Amino acid sequence: MQYQSQKIALNFYTAAVLLFLVQVLVGIIAALQFMWPDFFILNFNTVRTLHINALVVWLLLGMMGATYYVIPEESETELWSVPLAQLQFWATVLAVSLVVIGYIIMGINPQANTQVFGTLLLNEGREYIEAPRWADILIVVSVLLFLLNCFMTVLKTKKFTAVQGVLLGGLTFLALMYLPGMFYTKSMVKDQFWWWWVVHLWVEGSWELIAAALLAFMLHKLLGTDVKVLAKWMYIEVGLVLFTGILGLGHHYYWIGTPGYWLWVGGIFSSLEPIPLLLMVWDAFRTTRDTRGVVSNRVGLYLTVSHAIFNFVGAGLWGVIHTLPQVNKWTHGTQVTTAHGHLAFYGAYVLLIVAMMYVTIPSIRGVKEFNQSRGYQAFWWMTISMIFIVITITGAGMVQTYLERLFGLDYVAVKAGYNLWFWIFRAIFGVGFLVGVLILVVDVLTLGKKASA
Amino acid sequence: MSNNAAKHLFVWGSVLCFVILIVLTVDTMGKLDQRAPEITAEVDAGKKVWHKYDCIGCHTIFGNGSYFAPDMTKVTIRKPKGYLKKFIMNPRLIKPDSAMPVLGLSEKEADNLMAFLDWTSKVDTNGWPPAPILASARMDKTTGAGQVLFYRHDCGACHEIGGIGGVAGPDLTHVGSKHPDMEWHIRHLRSPEAVVPDSAMPSFDHLTDQELREISEYLITLK
Repeated sequence: MQYQSQKIALNFYTAAVLLFLVQVLVGIIAALQFMWPDFFILNFNTVRTLHINALVVWLLLGMMGATYYVIPEESETELWSVPLAQLQFWATVLAVSLVVIGYIIMGINPQANTQVFGTLLLNEGREYIEAPRWADILIVVSVLLFLLNCFMTVLKTKKFTAVQGVLLGGLTFLALMYLPGMFYTKSMVKDQFWWWWVVHLWVEGSWELIAAALLAFMLHKLLGTDVKVLAKWMYIEVGLVLFTGILGLGHHYYWIGTPGYWLWVGGIFSSLEPIPLLLMVWDAFRTTRDTRGVVSNRVGLYLTVSHAIFNFVGAGLWGVIHTLPQVNKWTHGTQVTTAHGHLAFYGAYVLLIVAMMYVTIPSIRGVKEFNQSRGYQAFWWMTISMIFIVITITGAGMVQTYLERLFGLDYVAVKAGYNLWFWIFRAIFGVGFLVGVLILVVDVLTLGKKASA
Repeated sequence: MSNNAAKHLFVWGSVLCFVILIVLTVDTMGKLDQRAPEITAEVDAGKKVWHKYDCIGCHTIFGNGSYFAPDMTKVTIRKPKGYLKKFIMNPRLIKPDSAMPVLGLSEKEADNLMAFLDWTSKVDTNGWPPAPILASARMDKTTGAGQVLFYRHDCGACHEIGGIGGVAGPDLTHVGSKHPDMEWHIRHLRSPEAVVPDSAMPSFDHLTDQELREISEYLITLK
């Protein structure tokens, strides 16, 4: 590590992996509730809200941590303000804790979720952005402080590198795209229309920009590849991500009450969305192949390339199979979507942040050599489990599509009867995934510590 | 391609795509109100009930949400509103093995929620969800007068026969063995709650005596 202030990344990484653990624990509870709805003190809706909110927040924490590492290195200077970064970190932890307590209170007593100043106090009741309005405002303040700190650091030395340009561009886009979720509309159609601006333009827009920038950063750091070459391909990748992704938003506007032309816009543009993701895979392989000499951080490289592959498979392939309106008419709202969601988030973002941790933590803790076997163990436990989770949910989705949508069987009959074995296997592989996460948490907390002692 | 060219292509291409998105958004916003009924105070209050109880944490609506419980998009067309209201207020009284918990909705909240769900049921969703192919084909093949009436009055939305149909009400595959008395069926169709306590089934009193007799004749053949 060259700059002391990069250490702040560790705070974010620690909070991120702990929240990851929480996410997977509640995920297993949710999986069991598919078989026994009354299994836990909280109902499924609250457990599921915790599952997806923990995911979003820990990935954001991971991205912030990674960015606090990248910016000083790219700008070749210390962070503008470490106390501000610390304040922003602890404020975020506090806000997240308050929101979680609110969800739990609401889960135990739904009547506690009352209207205050025209908004719901504990849970907004909108998927992914359940956090109440007061928390939205705190989140925006936190992200603005974070961006301020990063931009002021860049301005100190004015080294406007391509990586930090795209990284900060993606983060600014991310902050802006949170705003369409922050107002109430009486129409459920308009509600979902703006809600998709947030959800889609995050995960298929700004987050992919961040991913492309971090991918380029990691390949350069691990392999010493020429920045110019990496930057050119990064621009082409993020260009294609946004050319396909922005209007690919249309694939969420097929059936929510929006005009029919969205079937064409969404169908055409979203079908092209896997192309930039495939390009990233090729980029990772080409860069790795061209490298001469030994890579010391093998596990870091392994995770980086795995992220590129599973980003393409999960977000790209598992998305494109049901993105055409002719197919989506039958699969929309089934478990096929759940399967895509799981593999896409795992490949595109979980592996990205885990890779960033393995690439940067050794350097933050000041070690060249560290025990890499735990990193591989965590990766394989998580990846094999996730592949089987996705296979079981995809199977459940196909059964559901045929029986419910084509044959006319009742939703409840399909879920309780025909898909039971899929739920059982999904829960078992969920436990396998938990093993991987536990190994990861231990490794992130201890990696490189012994060697430096 | 030089780095600078790639950068400019990325920046200006993305800006162009975003401008197109904004144009389409403006156009869509202008058209949405014609594709949906008017939003009354009850509909708006019902939407707030939907958010308050985090319904989307289990259900989907317009196909978006949590996939743990049935989609609510056209639910007031598919199921009788009287049944839905009773069910929402106390699911396990109506269906003891239901996965839905008792959330404590007041009667007024349930009425408003019905108004909201009725509103969403009338939104033009480009034909989604599509009618199931096999169930539709089966209705075309019905022969007896009672069977035709059974499907015309959409009894299959709540009742299963031979694995096809809803599970909101009891399975009717062998109802003829359980209740072989035709008069029982006629009385039950006229006033379900008088025959089965706490029944959430709507009354079919508006049918003629002849029609009630024909449906009952069909039901007692299901053995």
